[in-house]
Amino acid sequence: MEWNPQTRQFLSDCFLHTLSPAPEPRRRAESSLSEASNLPNFGLAVLRLVAEPPNSIDEQIRQSAAVNFKNHLRLRWSSEDNPILEPEKQQIKTLIVPLMLSAPSKIQSQLSEALAIIGNHDFPKSWPTLLPELVSSLQEASQSSDYVKVNGILGTANSIFRKFRFQYKTNDLLLDLKYCLDNFTAPLLEIFLKTASLIDSAAATVPPPPAANLQPLFESQKLCCRIFYSLNFQELPEFFEDHMKEWMSEFRKYLTTSYPSLEGSGPDGLALVDELRSAVCENINLYMEKNEEEFQGYLNDFALAVWTLLVNVSQSTSRDQLAITAIKFLTTVSTSVHHALFAADGVIPQICQGIVIPNVRLRDDDEELFEMNHIEYIRRDMEGSDLDTRRRIACELLKGIATHYGDAVRNIASAQIQSLLSSFASNPTANWKDKDCAIYLVVSLSTKKAGTSYVSTDLVDVQSFFQSVIVPELQSSDVNGYPMLKAGALKFFTMFRSQISKHVALQFLPDLVRFLTAESNVVHSYAASCIEKLLSVKDEGGRLRYSSADIAPIFAMLMNNLFNAFKLPESEENQYVMKCIMRVLGVADVQLDVARICIEGLGSLLSEVCKNPKNPVFNHYLFESVAILVKRASERDPSLVSVFETSLFPRLEIILSNDVTEFFPYTFQLLALLVELNRPPIPPIYMQIFEILLSPDSWKRTSNVPALVRLLQAFLQKAPNEISQGDRLTKVLGIFDTLIQSSSSSEQGFYVLNTVIESLPYEVITPYISHIWAAIFRELQKRRTVKLLKSLLIFISLFLVKHGWSNVIDTMNAVQPNIFSVILTQFWIPNLKLITGDIELKLTTVASTRLICESPVLLDPAASVSWGKMVDSIVTLLSRKEQDRVEDEGDMPDIAENVGYTATFVRLYNAGRNEEDPLPDIKDPRKYFVASLSQLCAHSPGRFPNVITENVETANQEALLQLCNTYNVALV
Amino acid sequence: MADPGFSSTKRDPIKSSVGNAAGIRRREHAVTVGKERRESLVRAKRLCRVGISDVEVDVESDMMIDEEQSILESQTSLAVQNLKSALAYQGKGAMQKRVGALQKLRRLLSRSEFPPVESALKAGAVAILAQCLSFGSPDEQLLEAAWCLTNIAAGNPEETKALLPALPLLIAHLGEKSSSPVAEQCAWALGNVAGDDEELRNVLLIQGALIPLARMMLPYRRSTVRTAAWALSNLIKGPNPKAANELICVDGVLDAIVRHLTKADDESATEVAWVVVYLSALSNIATSMLVKSDVLQLLVNRLATSNSLQLMIPVLRSLGNLIAGDSHATYTVLSPGLAVTDNAIQVMIKCLKSEQRVLKKEAAWVLSNIAAGSVEHKQLIYSSEAVPLLLHLLSAAPFDIRKEVAYILGNLCVAPTKGDEKSSLILEHLVSLVEKGCLPGFIDLVRSADIEAARLGLQFIELVLRGMPNGKGPKLVEQEDGIEAMERFQFHENEDLRTMANSLVDKYFGEDYGLDEL
Repeated sequence: MEWNPQTRQFLSDCFLHTLSPAPEPRRRAESSLSEASNLPNFGLAVLRLVAEPPNSIDEQIRQSAAVNFKNHLRLRWSSEDNPILEPEKQQIKTLIVPLMLSAPSKIQSQLSEALAIIGNHDFPKSWPTLLPELVSSLQEASQSSDYVKVNGILGTANSIFRKFRFQYKTNDLLLDLKYCLDNFTAPLLEIFLKTASLIDSAAATVPPPPAANLQPLFESQKLCCRIFYSLNFQELPEFFEDHMKEWMSEFRKYLTTSYPSLEGSGPDGLALVDELRSAVCENINLYMEKNEEEFQGYLNDFALAVWTLLVNVSQSTSRDQLAITAIKFLTTVSTSVHHALFAADGVIPQICQGIVIPNVRLRDDDEELFEMNHIEYIRRDMEGSDLDTRRRIACELLKGIATHYGDAVRNIASAQIQSLLSSFASNPTANWKDKDCAIYLVVSLSTKKAGTSYVSTDLVDVQSFFQSVIVPELQSSDVNGYPMLKAGALKFFTMFRSQISKHVALQFLPDLVRFLTAESNVVHSYAASCIEKLLSVKDEGGRLRYSSADIAPIFAMLMNNLFNAFKLPESEENQYVMKCIMRVLGVADVQLDVARICIEGLGSLLSEVCKNPKNPVFNHYLFESVAILVKRASERDPSLVSVFETSLFPRLEIILSNDVTEFFPYTFQLLALLVELNRPPIPPIYMQIFEILLSPDSWKRTSNVPALVRLLQAFLQKAPNEISQGDRLTKVLGIFDTLIQSSSSSEQGFYVLNTVIESLPYEVITPYISHIWAAIFRELQKRRTVKLLKSLLIFISLFLVKHGWSNVIDTMNAVQPNIFSVILTQFWIPNLKLITGDIELKLTTVASTRLICESPVLLDPAASVSWGKMVDSIVTLLSRKEQDRVEDEGDMPDIAENVGYTATFVRLYNAGRNEEDPLPDIKDPRKYFVASLSQLCAHSPGRFPNVITENVETANQEALLQLCNTYNVALV
Repeated sequence: MADPGFSSTKRDPIKSSVGNAAGIRRREHAVTVGKERRESLVRAKRLCRVGISDVEVDVESDMMIDEEQSILESQTSLAVQNLKSALAYQGKGAMQKRVGALQKLRRLLSRSEFPPVESALKAGAVAILAQCLSFGSPDEQLLEAAWCLTNIAAGNPEETKALLPALPLLIAHLGEKSSSPVAEQCAWALGNVAGDDEELRNVLLIQGALIPLARMMLPYRRSTVRTAAWALSNLIKGPNPKAANELICVDGVLDAIVRHLTKADDESATEVAWVVVYLSALSNIATSMLVKSDVLQLLVNRLATSNSLQLMIPVLRSLGNLIAGDSHATYTVLSPGLAVTDNAIQVMIKCLKSEQRVLKKEAAWVLSNIAAGSVEHKQLIYSSEAVPLLLHLLSAAPFDIRKEVAYILGNLCVAPTKGDEKSSLILEHLVSLVEKGCLPGFIDLVRSADIEAARLGLQFIELVLRGMPNGKGPKLVEQEDGIEAMERFQFHENEDLRTMANSLVDKYFGEDYGLDEL
């Protein structure tokens, strides 16, 4: 694309049309542009359009061109596909800096981003002129006090230096950093000090200059501080160490000085000064964390400055960011080697009263969030996503101080809590926030005990606090009054559930059920959550504390209120309520009539979410609820299976026919559960589903595979006769063949095959066996992963114990003469030790034992080496701990990942399959092994001990002897 | 109090564990942006204020210390002028006159902490001093001229560069034909030239300064060895490893290093140890040769017997470089069961106990590299008295030491990898260290601003999650607020950390976690 009047006109028209409200010309312009973007020099031409003088091209057009230019660079600067060519890149790099600096601010910000994109790829090695150009422009702009330019340059520098904040320290990165330091640190300090002196003299001027004059100066200082952070992030550079004093004295000034003319000019003015202060706090926090030795000399002053500042900031309802960064600094100090700063008399009480309590108190923002966005409120309040809230950070500070001054903090905090509570008691209506603050402190400063849900606190006595502070809220007759206090009380109950004794908790269970009807979304969510968590409490020994009998008296009301909660505005898909339903159904004793009501209730919710699946958590618990209801109720009363089928089939059919793909894995798991709950013969409708199951299309989505395998297994077990008919088995084995070809699904393929071998009569399988072996051998040729080898051994073992060693050996050798001995020596013997899992270990041990004790192939004296090695492997398998013999192959999950939400497989916990033990009669594989071996030896005394001595490793001979002693047998 | 809830979008599996990162030995980065730490202890450039030969007592020096800098400057200009005319003078007593003028200038340049280098340069001192270095000049004249140049070279980098014309002659006088005071003074001047500028180092190397300096280190003459070693340590400090490679190949250098480390006084040994620092930091050849000689043993002995901080720093650093740089060091020289290995661990413990922060940090680094060795090495450290010390440091030391200590503890918990195999846990160590309370220290690192430390913390959390028996890991991590610490990385710009943290949270605190326990 050549830059000429035609191009100029064409581009200018296009960008004008992209702004058109009418869709037709807009789309046309967009498609012309996207077509033109494939031409060489397109980016350059657009940049030239941006550079046109304002009087010739409208600023709107240039602005839209600048956006397009930036996006074009993002896509094409270094893409594989049609990248911008080198000469064009060179020209862009030459033009962009001066252009950016002279552009009006909206265009400048786009070009600055574009420049940062180039910088990410090219800076510094392929763009050696950039930094010198920025430095000389900075000096020029600084001399003429042109702060639009100064800030443009600093903004650019800030974005190209950002990488030093998050990349790993490597020699290459350090070289880049060194280059930036060598060129930029001195000019940075120079402009920083110059701007500082301008600010100082402006502050001293009477009357003070207008805020507009100060604003760019503060903007500039803020950018300098951010650059400071980037350049100091990896380690403390020499230049900054040498000039620490200059930097620190300015930093301190911004924390201790107020700038009334700017701060008083409106919220933006104060926000800007606070942003600078926050940036300063981040810098000194970085120094405190990483270079505290060099920073030590400044620490006292800064600590004093920050906490004085905080006492002011803490009173204000806005200024969150500054409060948070400043408190973080104090927290860092409190846990550092210089924590003694807090040891002085009166410091901790002062911090507690002046900083912690004011920041923990509810503010208007919190109340607004509670009302307007309950999801976000709960996320922060209950689920720990409140890292960057003032409340949480203030508590972190208290915890930080407590690491060295635990007793002092405890005393002061509990005194504070008492005084907040008495203030509430004196006037509950006016001072309800004090009570909230007290509850929040107790909950936030509590500690969790390892391995339990047991939470404890040493600030108050939990029982009496519960009785005197929490219970009045729970018993309040108005479920809608003071909702935030109710939420706090429910949260306390939830947190300390393990410590509240059963009879006390049961006393208030009806109140919890009552709060399910509260209008506040937070309150009824917390009530649901509290019930759900209570029902999950386990006592010593893992037994659930609450049983069906405990909830029987309130069960009807509970279910009613839970289902009604979905009718409250914005709780249509309330995940806490749904999870509570799941938990209740898992505990309660569900009678026939209730089961009918529940399945209808869940079924209609299911129909609803199918239309537009939105909340994956809600949906998950919905399916879990269905699964647990179906499972528990049918096990209790098998006649219910058909009731569930009637209710669920139409809905599951809609999922399948409307292609609601995110629910497919759930659907197949539910179907598998239903198949398993049936008594053969299974109803004919299932065979229709079976046909869907066999269609290759169903298997294309990897997320479906585990669920489909699960369903297929269920069919093979429950309907072996139906499957043996027609070409169904051929298709099933076709699925097996496809699955084992991909390493991510090969295990799943073997699950199918194992179920075939286990469930079908041998005659039915016979015609297919040679094909099965051929497919397996083909895979062994391609790859020999641990997973494949393990699957192979398990399959052969299963085959052997089900149908005998001779069938195994003969069918293998029929595919290729003598291949059995190859498989035995190359795969079986060396890899036996990789087997994990109790059932698998038993199965392979028994199969291997039978082989060496029964099959003539191995009992032939010519095979004595293999025989001995097999004994060796079995002993390894049986005598060593799993972790000592198995090399973990890595944490790769079985299913291909990264396909987005819609296509992931999520296991339904409550629809899980019970592991079948193919050898229920054999309890102890070790005993079986040594007993069989001893019997064999007794038949030919003197023969085998020699073989063992020659072929079994010394350590394993020891282990074998030990095993024999344990079971009191001898090898003769 | 976090309820991790359940997350449906699965992410990449965890690719790295401590085994892949902390399990390997770490060398120091070749590039640094920080202040050269040795400088605060032993300056890279040194002013020569008292003569080498110790013969001359400068009677005037005390009297003029308080002189105004401006007077000093004008006197210096004058002294250079005088030297010029003295040099031009050919008559009787010319020699004394020249030496006298040189002494005058030298005294002016030695008088204050801040010699009037600028005035001397402006007056044209370098050219005239170079002339004084011409071959055949009497030793006294050579000595004085080299001394003047030494102090000029101690100025700022620009001033040092002004010495360029004099360099060939300074180098020429290093040779064996020169008297030792002259050679030593020239070495000193060159050491200053090599002090802080890679370009000047390259010039010196091209002009052949390395070999004569190296030869000066061979005989045992205290002050010569000291000066030559110091100059060499400046000359070879890279970052290009070429000079270090060359130095170790000079005949006799390795023997001399061994000899000096065995016998020399602390001060000379310090300078020699700095040479070893740079040799081992930059040159693989040197590292392997040093490891095969007795150097490791000698360094360990030095640490055991000395309490000089100046000496201990380079000795520790050398030891660390050698261990990090050559697997032979750990697997053969410091192999478990040998007395030297026990001694090495003992001296590390000594340094960890020291009040000096720099010793603690370096020792922790060295120990982390030993801990990256065989399972037996790990057992040795694990059963030594280092562990309680390390656990204490992990919770109470300044950040940089905590980070190094974390590397040691992390390394103690993973078995070494062979080839592509994935590392496996040493369960006994992990369980006992976690029981002794090291987990909060690692979680603190996850929260730190340092991303390497954060990675280390995450890797250790992964070990705990994967390895603690009976599935206790997730609960321990949760109890120490580990989930919250990991969630900080949810949107972190470092992709590796982000993926690691997110997949750990997903894997161990995903849907099943909520269902099973609660």
